[in-house]
Amino acid sequence: MRFLKSKEGGIFLIVLLLFIVLSFLNPVFLTFDNLIDVVQTNVVLGILAIGMTLVIIIGGIDVSVGAMTAAVTVLIGKFMVGFGYSLPVVLLLAAAGGTLLGAINGFLVSRIKVQAIVVTLGTLSIYSGLTMYVTGGVWINNLPQSFIDFGRIRLPGGIPIQIVFLVLIALFTAYLLKYLRIGRSVYALGGNMRSAERAGISVARVQMFVYSYMGFLAGIAAFVHTSIYRQVDPNAFNGFELQVIAAVVLGGANILGGSGRVSGTLLGVALLALIGNGLTLAHVPSFWHKVIIGSFIAAAVVFDVLQRRRIEKQLVKIDVLQS
Amino acid sequence: MKRTALNLKWNALKLSGYETILLGVFVILFVLFSLTAPNFLSPVNLQSMMVQMPEMGLIALGLMVVVITAGIDLSITYLAALSGIAIAWALSHGWPIPLALAAGAVTAMLCGAFNALLIAGTGVPPIVLTLGSMILFEGIALRVTRGGSISGFPESYYLIGGGELGPIPVPMLIFAAAAVLTAVMLNRTAWGRSVFMIGNNPTASRFSGIPVKSVLIRVYLFSALMAFLAAVIMTSRYNSAKVDYGSSYLMQGLAAVVLGGTSISGGSGTVKGTVIGVAIFQILSSALNLYSISPHIVDVLMGAILIFVLLVDYVIKLRKRMVRVKATDAAVKPPVSA
Repeated sequence: MRFLKSKEGGIFLIVLLLFIVLSFLNPVFLTFDNLIDVVQTNVVLGILAIGMTLVIIIGGIDVSVGAMTAAVTVLIGKFMVGFGYSLPVVLLLAAAGGTLLGAINGFLVSRIKVQAIVVTLGTLSIYSGLTMYVTGGVWINNLPQSFIDFGRIRLPGGIPIQIVFLVLIALFTAYLLKYLRIGRSVYALGGNMRSAERAGISVARVQMFVYSYMGFLAGIAAFVHTSIYRQVDPNAFNGFELQVIAAVVLGGANILGGSGRVSGTLLGVALLALIGNGLTLAHVPSFWHKVIIGSFIAAAVVFDVLQRRRIEKQLVKIDVLQS
Repeated sequence: MKRTALNLKWNALKLSGYETILLGVFVILFVLFSLTAPNFLSPVNLQSMMVQMPEMGLIALGLMVVVITAGIDLSITYLAALSGIAIAWALSHGWPIPLALAAGAVTAMLCGAFNALLIAGTGVPPIVLTLGSMILFEGIALRVTRGGSISGFPESYYLIGGGELGPIPVPMLIFAAAAVLTAVMLNRTAWGRSVFMIGNNPTASRFSGIPVKSVLIRVYLFSALMAFLAAVIMTSRYNSAKVDYGSSYLMQGLAAVVLGGTSISGGSGTVKGTVIGVAIFQILSSALNLYSISPHIVDVLMGAILIFVLLVDYVIKLRKRMVRVKATDAAVKPPVSA
């Protein structure tokens, strides 16, 4: 009961309702293949949204995620075409490349102390410009067969290997946020930066960690994405940052910082995924998807703010009674 | 009487220290490009710069007013696109030009009101709300155009984007008028002063009796108006309307606003600075184009410039702070006696 009353509970109920409605409306929806397909196509969104959750908890934002992911897909694509494939090497390269790009964001945000939105708008332009310059917008197709085989691996039960990445990252990040010192610092920073600093937390170091971690996950997401689609499209992530941010906000994280959870974000991803899949199965023209998702985001944030304000009012009342 | 009028005029043209530096940068770049970039000073290039600049400039003016209130409007370029599509739809259905323009203006105002009412009415952070409305407007625009473009306008409509008054293209005149209007509104009206105060301290503004909500509503409507003007120029110049026309102006416009000295955390900003910022971006992109540098590298450079400007701003602030700390140290510490 306590879960259902929490914020995640509310989103969970919406997702559940949507799930039930969809399974009644369309017999295809509840098939194993469709569900696996829905999860697989949203693994990348999920991984990036988990990273973005941390960024949003500290009151920041990173609009360069799409550009970072695209840059790393090109990096590992070119590498594999040139030098062949070896799982540890390529995975390490993806992680290192992503972390480096994220660390650049982190450095600019934590040292120069400019609003993250401006910094990441700048790096968005730089990263995507470089990606387009290097590739000329041309796809990379001839990836090694061994890598393509890796992407096709299915666990017993028919679960694609890519889902393992999402599960591991979700579990690790949830653990990090809840039990590790750095995770607690992330919440402290988002709650009140000044208090966190006075409590001895290095604001710059936490910011550096969060943006680098975002970059790291963008690198992993790039690897996973490439293993699903088996080719590199330098334009694949144009505007993807908006979906990522939307998933986190729908998942109940406060855009002003201080709150947000991995479980909520995953529910936010599920919500976007189900809306998208439902509209596709119902043959709604793709033009409508954006209209519906856009209205959904606007409605969700307005509802969130109104609810928060109601809670604040109650808090004020208690204060008055006690004094 | 004559004297005060003259003084007022001079005040309006006076530049702050930062703006002087900015103007210096502009002049240096202009001279540099005139000497090195092929055909930079040719009438064709000068003309095309003057036609291109107003679109981004109008978006930048709209963004600036929002940024001064410590907000941001991510939806502004899609708002412009949608407004342009409304004009195009009306024109291609045989509406007379004034009526089509009215349709575009009404569309822009409705979209602006959507942002304004939700942001001012509920206090939702502008960045998320306009993120939502950006996707929403893009979706509606896609729905109407089905991803294609709308064209087929009457001859006389091209005069807006292609016409000239003497040597000056009409878009430039529209931009100049909009810049003057913005400056007057910000500096000479109660609304304008309130915009700055809200950006500085929303709580204090509320307690000092400023109608924060209605001021904010007019801020977002104002930015929608600028987006509408940009849409008119764009549709007329491209002779068509499409969803992604002008979508690159968000980044560039914001960069020009920040470069022009507007604080992204609100409370300060000038039209003069923004106009110079826009002009710098314009001659840069034209010159890089003339050097035949890849447009992707131009993107990289634009991003790098934005970050570089922030770096310089940071260093200047840091030095100021250090000077102040030294001064207070000297005041507090008693002289050391030997």
